[in-house]
Amino acid sequence: MSIQSNVEVHTEWGIVSARQAGRNLAKDAGFGNVDQARIATAISELARNIYLYAEKGEIVIQYVEDTESPVSKRGIKIIAKDKGPGISNIRDVMEDGFTTSGGLGAGLPGVKRLMDEFDIHSTAGEGTEITAIKWLR
Amino acid sequence: MQPSIVEMIYTQKQDIISDWLSEINNVMPSGLAKKIPNEASDETNKKFVELIIESLELTEEAATEKLNEFAQHLIYLGWPLSYFTQGMQAFRRVLLETMSSMESISSKKVFETFYEIETWVDSIINQIADEYSGSWESTIHLQRMALKELSAPLIPVFEKVSVMPLVGTIDTERAKLIMENVLDGIIEHRSQVVLIDITGVPVVDTMVAHHLIQTAEAIRLVGAECILVGIRPEIAQTIVNLGIDLSKFRTKSSLRRGVETGLELTQRKIIKIENDDERIDSR
Amino acid sequence: MRIPILKLHKYLLISVQVELDDQTALQFQEDLLNKIHQEGSIGVVIDLTSVEMIDSYIAKVLGDVVEMSNLMGAKVVLTGIQPAVAITLIDMGIMLNEVPTALDLEQGLEKLQQELEG
Repeated sequence: MSIQSNVEVHTEWGIVSARQAGRNLAKDAGFGNVDQARIATAISELARNIYLYAEKGEIVIQYVEDTESPVSKRGIKIIAKDKGPGISNIRDVMEDGFTTSGGLGAGLPGVKRLMDEFDIHSTAGEGTEITAIKWLR
Repeated sequence: MQPSIVEMIYTQKQDIISDWLSEINNVMPSGLAKKIPNEASDETNKKFVELIIESLELTEEAATEKLNEFAQHLIYLGWPLSYFTQGMQAFRRVLLETMSSMESISSKKVFETFYEIETWVDSIINQIADEYSGSWESTIHLQRMALKELSAPLIPVFEKVSVMPLVGTIDTERAKLIMENVLDGIIEHRSQVVLIDITGVPVVDTMVAHHLIQTAEAIRLVGAECILVGIRPEIAQTIVNLGIDLSKFRTKSSLRRGVETGLELTQRKIIKIENDDERIDSR
Repeated sequence: MRIPILKLHKYLLISVQVELDDQTALQFQEDLLNKIHQEGSIGVVIDLTSVEMIDSYIAKVLGDVVEMSNLMGAKVVLTGIQPAVAITLIDMGIMLNEVPTALDLEQGLEKLQQELEG
């Protein structure tokens, strides 16, 4: 399967359309009610981070398949990338309650808990790329 | 196996078998001896020892197949693995004794012979153990599936009051399922109070407590209240000793107490009806 | 987009029927506080039955609304949070600890009445 959605995030509406696209793709992939909500919420958090800190960026949502593991798995992969200021203190932002925006500080650690796999690459001054995967159970 | 050893075993076959049979009765696990009637165990013993000896002249594949077949049959009948391991060990003892009592083997060859017999016996033990562990694995898999199906339905006992009885160990996978079941059940039955009964949960460690707390929080978010019931003394002890804070939640020692509290929270109570003799008489 | 706020005696009722984007949520916060001030309401029920997703930002706005309303003397009950939404919030570690909840609008109103009128 090569179906994917790319959503530009540079307004608040980008956040809404990204999570709607994610929910639809998750539903089509066969995710249950609760996982659909988890995926949509994770996308919302990632998109909001782009909007708040990098002003613009892109959310890519795609189907993935893991054929290497003994039991082949299918799932959904979210890639959030921006060319913003980057995160110099990754350890801090992954901590519960850490916030620079006045939010709950549940954003990135929250995404990590909502999804099955989570990976973050960031270079100060160049941008951030976050990848998260949810596998079908 | 050296032909000379095989030949020796065959010429001494009757002695070996009878020695082994008396030996096996001594080492037979006592629990098993009681469970299985003598004739049945005698017959199985004979079959077993003949199979071992027979396997000497079969090709490796044929021998493996026969042994597996025999093992599977006994697994099915519920014979323990220790019957095989002790049986094989006894067989080795008998064989070595028989050999050492014979003078035909030169002392030079003794070591070699011992080694060959060891290898042969061990390979049979390994093969049977594999067969057993394979059967255990599939049993565990089946039980895991069954456990998942068992996972906790929410039972509406009164209007607005439901009970979720938890039985068995709670791992992350099950905890997720339980949470979804409870929440969906609350919406379906419009429950205001949910009693989570952990009488059947053997151990409450920090992980289990964490799952319970999360479930209670989620229950509160959808708009119901959670009461943890069935807290046995030893569970209360471990919870406090581990420093787990459950003070935010209502807890009760028994389901009955929990039901009373549940009814109280929804402005009801159970009352005893006045004993109306006339009404009973008139029926 | 504006979320309609209904008045019922001393209470305000809100049923959120739209996907909550940030702007709508903030607008709602402002509208509700103005309405409480205007009407002198003592209780508010916000029904979230139709809301499919609450992320940390929306959760923050909702928590704030409750706190602000309390400051203005109006008690708030959130109702109808869907199981999937509740699980997602718990996963993220958002407990909304200080916020009273109820199953639906009806039970939310009952809860308010009990707490306010004894």
